Amino acid sequence: MIYTFKFQDQTYKINLEEEGKETVVEIEGKKIPVEFQKIDENFYSILLGGKSIGVGILKRGKRVDVFVEGDLYEFESISDREREKAKGAVSGVQEIKSPMPSRVVKILKKGDEEVKEGEGVIVIEAMKMESELKSPIEGKVKEIKVKEGDAVESGTVLLVISSE
Amino acid sequence: MFQKILIANRGEIAVRIIRACRELGIKTVAVYSEADRRSLHVAMADEAYYIGPPAPGESYLVIEKIIDAAKRSGAEAIHPGYGFLSEKEAFAGACENEGIVFIGPSSEAIRLMGDKITARRIAQEAKVPLVPGSEGAVSDTEAEIVAKRIGYPVMIKASAGGGGKGMRLVRKEEEFKSSLRMARSEARSAFGDDSVYIERFIERPRHVEIQLIGDSYGEVLYLFERECSVQRRHQKVIEESPSPAISSRTRKRMGETAVRIAKAVSYRGAGTIEFILDQNGNFYFLEMNTRVQVEHPVTEMVTGFDIVKWMIRIASGERLPFTQDELSISGHAIECRVYAEDPEKNFLPSPGKLEYLRTPTGPGVRNDSSVYSGYEVTPFYDPMLSKLIVWGETREEAIKRMKTALREYMALGVKTNIGFLLRVMDNDEFIRGEIDTGFIERHPELLVPNGGNIESALIAAAIGMRNSTKEAETSKQAPVSNWKLLSRKLAVSRNPMI
Repeated sequence: MIYTFKFQDQTYKINLEEEGKETVVEIEGKKIPVEFQKIDENFYSILLGGKSIGVGILKRGKRVDVFVEGDLYEFESISDREREKAKGAVSGVQEIKSPMPSRVVKILKKGDEEVKEGEGVIVIEAMKMESELKSPIEGKVKEIKVKEGDAVESGTVLLVISSE
Repeated sequence: MFQKILIANRGEIAVRIIRACRELGIKTVAVYSEADRRSLHVAMADEAYYIGPPAPGESYLVIEKIIDAAKRSGAEAIHPGYGFLSEKEAFAGACENEGIVFIGPSSEAIRLMGDKITARRIAQEAKVPLVPGSEGAVSDTEAEIVAKRIGYPVMIKASAGGGGKGMRLVRKEEEFKSSLRMARSEARSAFGDDSVYIERFIERPRHVEIQLIGDSYGEVLYLFERECSVQRRHQKVIEESPSPAISSRTRKRMGETAVRIAKAVSYRGAGTIEFILDQNGNFYFLEMNTRVQVEHPVTEMVTGFDIVKWMIRIASGERLPFTQDELSISGHAIECRVYAEDPEKNFLPSPGKLEYLRTPTGPGVRNDSSVYSGYEVTPFYDPMLSKLIVWGETREEAIKRMKTALREYMALGVKTNIGFLLRVMDNDEFIRGEIDTGFIERHPELLVPNGGNIESALIAAAIGMRNSTKEAETSKQAPVSNWKLLSRKLAVSRNPMI
């Protein structure tokens, strides 16, 4: 079966097939025999040819998090239909979202004000630490969705920047 | 010795203190906020008292609530740990007034050393070298004048500060105003006091600190140094002892200087004098922390001295049974602070449920922690998951041991800095001991995975997908358990009149 994953804006395809008693993984044209054991709920021992790796795997809906040697890889499993959709037009509108539950300390820009790429637009505070969120594009502040002092959840849209 | 101690803290340090108490045969009392009912310190203590909502300002920082819990439980002494009330003069004072022993210095010593400006004056009087800066707190205009006089780059620091909060480095004059505003605002929300002072910033400084321990009879000993130069956002991430940068002569000079400051305030208990070490081996007094440090384990590992236990013994009136000459460093210890944070996003905290955790073990490995699989990392407190400490005969061995331990570590559900820490252990400059407080900033490549494991990760992801589909299929076909069948039968046959 072919699995397609998105990881940091890149798409990866990987084929996992059972050939008789063996499972074979095909990645970038290479075929490697693979054998794995689930040690506990999230800990797997994988043997790739002669190479042994211990990994942590956490599946949450379409997301698969994999922990290998200190690093967490967050994959998104995508179906063929979703891949087509993702190719749609790129819009010049960017939402500035709160990366975590936090409090709005200061809004540095007014509505319609011009912003440069990389320029700070809002200051938020979480865990007593202030951080400035920057605009990823050059454009104008299209909308301000919060007030100073607001408590916001992770993923809340704070400002909308438009490049038009 | 005390019969019962209250621990006015949470997290790993509360667990660390509980362990010390157990070994000393002392009963322990935990306090906890609403967010901490499922925290390990509550489960491990002999007694536990609820003290309010999750926000520290409504629980762990409320002096009356802590004192009340101490009285209700009959605790004779309070260990404050680090952070929270540990360096609040008013808290130590409240304990003194209530006849409860504060495990730490006198409220007077906290007052003198806690105010950074007074501390500088005391250091000056004790002939301790200082970094050039403003004489005390400054207004906005004064601040700019001082900055210009001592020359950029300068540091803006909160008078009531600590732990890197309310601290800003300003490299250019045009950045000064906005940095000053941010520093004041951070200081106000963290300490309720927005006064700041200005200091010259030393290029490529190392942060080296001396661990002190003093008893109630005027004896103060130094337990050598810790190098804490690897910092992000002015907060320590990796600490070690001994420092790879100082000679035994400098070590002795720094130790004796630190003891001089402590004796000037009749210091009792564990304390730390932080120094800035420049590239020429000159050191300058930075500040004193009048409490146990997060990184105290590295000192414990190389000296064999249990700092937390000695804090308790000293508070109960015991004398230090050693002399300075009897103390020495053996081997090398390194500590890595494992955080739920995202190095790729400027080390932004990553709260959430720690779905899975595996921690390392093995010879010379110590993991001070209070988290477990299923633990919720809340946005209310510091997102540190654990302190991983290793000991080796040499620095080289300690680094290799740390790498081995970090490779065994596994955490799912939240982002962590484990990969980052591993890459630091592989970095040539770090291996050579060429570190300073700008080390992380200079090495942005350490923040992201180098891509070597992406293939393994992908294969694992595919296996994860395949396995979860298979498991879902099996559970669909699985026969319904007899218990379920029984309850269904009962549901149908249940007489609603009974």
